[in-house]
Amino acid sequence: MSGRRSRSRQSSGISEDQINDLIIKLQQLLPELRNSRRSDKVSASRVLQETCNYIRNLHREVDDLSERLSELLANTDTAQAALIRSLLTQ
Amino acid sequence: MDSMSTSSTSDLSRRKRKKKSPPSPPPSLQKWRSEKQQQIYSTKLVNALRELRITQPSPNPRNGRAVREVADRALAVAARGKTLWSRAILSKAVKLKFRKHKRQRITNPALTSTVTATGSIRSKNKRGAATVMRIKAKGLPAVQRKVKVLSRLVPGCRKQTLPVVLEETTDYIAAMEMQIRAMTALLSAVTSPTEHEEGQTHVLGVW
Repeated sequence: MSGRRSRSRQSSGISEDQINDLIIKLQQLLPELRNSRRSDKVSASRVLQETCNYIRNLHREVDDLSERLSELLANTDTAQAALIRSLLTQ
Repeated sequence: MDSMSTSSTSDLSRRKRKKKSPPSPPPSLQKWRSEKQQQIYSTKLVNALRELRITQPSPNPRNGRAVREVADRALAVAARGKTLWSRAILSKAVKLKFRKHKRQRITNPALTSTVTATGSIRSKNKRGAATVMRIKAKGLPAVQRKVKVLSRLVPGCRKQTLPVVLEETTDYIAAMEMQIRAMTALLSAVTSPTEHEEGQTHVLGVW
């Protein structure tokens, strides 16, 4: 994979195959599109759209988790002890 | 025969692709899914969070954002500087501290390709080579638009070529999934034991 990447940097032309390959790899990461495989070929546009939506969802989840963590940290005494404890139990 | 040997690697790669798409994800993605990586990240996250100062009016929206930045920075460190998005996140944090030096760096392109002496992390393509968003094969305007939106969502990819954006995206998604798993586990570890806390202190007598 790294070999392919360095080669694509040297030669200015990226083959359509390589791009399709990357898009297929991306499709398999998306929870929505992972199940539909070769039977119905999903368009690149659809994969990109789902990717954008998925990343926005992930961002929102992280923001939400950050909010909850910050609320917990506001009560410093119990939170500090609990954080240390959780670190030790891992 | 000589020409065969030089093109053999490309033939091999093409042959590999035609056979079957491999069921296992590439090693970089497997790294983000491993238990060990999640533990490494959780440790970094907890340590960074302990040093965070929470400003006192408790339901403060800035605290949530501060936690988010800490989590993102820890994630970028866990990536070990191998990806554009991680370097972009870290350089964003450094830029806030050294805003004065930023203007000098922009006008001096000679410094951008190498790591500067102060040790700040710069992404490779950002300023020196003028990389423009170029769609090599997919010339469709719909696809172009979406790739542009995607490149804005992933940090550090605004002026990158299509294959770079796609590759950064796959790594970024895997990393964020791990981040979410780690933060969720941390939350549940912190919230549920507090309910049993009194029981534990009686039994163990440690805390």
